[in-house]
Amino acid sequence: MNLASLLSKDRINLTLKPGKKDEVIKDLVYLMKKGSDADVIISTLLKREELGSTGIGKGIAIPHCRSLLVDKLEITVGRTIKPINFNAIDKKPVSLIFLIIAPPQDPGNQYLITLGKIVQIAKEITRKNLIDKPQTSEEFITTINEIEKELAKKRL
Amino acid sequence: MAKATEDEINIELLNLLLDLDNLIADMAEPIYKKIGFQIEDDATLSLMRKRNELMQKIPRELRELYERLKKRYHRAIFATVEEGFCRGCFQKLPTELLTKTKEIITCPNCGRIIYWQKK
Repeated sequence: MNLASLLSKDRINLTLKPGKKDEVIKDLVYLMKKGSDADVIISTLLKREELGSTGIGKGIAIPHCRSLLVDKLEITVGRTIKPINFNAIDKKPVSLIFLIIAPPQDPGNQYLITLGKIVQIAKEITRKNLIDKPQTSEEFITTINEIEKELAKKRL
Repeated sequence: MAKATEDEINIELLNLLLDLDNLIADMAEPIYKKIGFQIEDDATLSLMRKRNELMQKIPRELRELYERLKKRYHRAIFATVEEGFCRGCFQKLPTELLTKTKEIITCPNCGRIIYWQKK
């Protein structure tokens, strides 16, 4: 799985309006242009958040859920203009959010593997202090691509 | 807006049940815990409680169908319809079924609940 290949320019918003966690999640789901299905997806994501925040620390959150309303793994990315409270694990505010929706059935548990990879990439982004660096969606995808290549080299 | 039929409400309940079961199953995966997501201590208990509440709202025959399909197909108990084909088993569906978009029907070949994806 290559994360950069799952990203698309129109599903990245690097100037997301800061607000409550629920509002930001909604804005990111709306980027998927799911019409009336958006509300169902939002409700599933918020239910997951009730069980514990998906803010993994160091300014990054990864809200996620499975939904019958998608037939392949879909991702949107947002960066808020100002960090927001996400009740993250380290209690620090969050500004970079990867939102992931996966279909209920996926052979080989690709969804969980992808989640794991995103966490790994997200940790690299914070380690290298790159959260605020990309200024456009294209630059963001390039950054992710470079990190993935570096991580792949390390694994060799 | 037209009032939802009993079947439409039930399909919605089955969807919610599947969502809950997916969450319970994912959270139980060792890889999920390893990733480092925060889960409240009583999360699984709370999910199981919600599951039981939901089960009470679903008619017995549908609950049994759900459990049967889950056992057989794991998470793939619903199948979308595309151009007249069941996406679960890729068999052509009989024409008379294709108009019943608001009823709970199962694929005559694989038995999955047929689901019309909104466009």
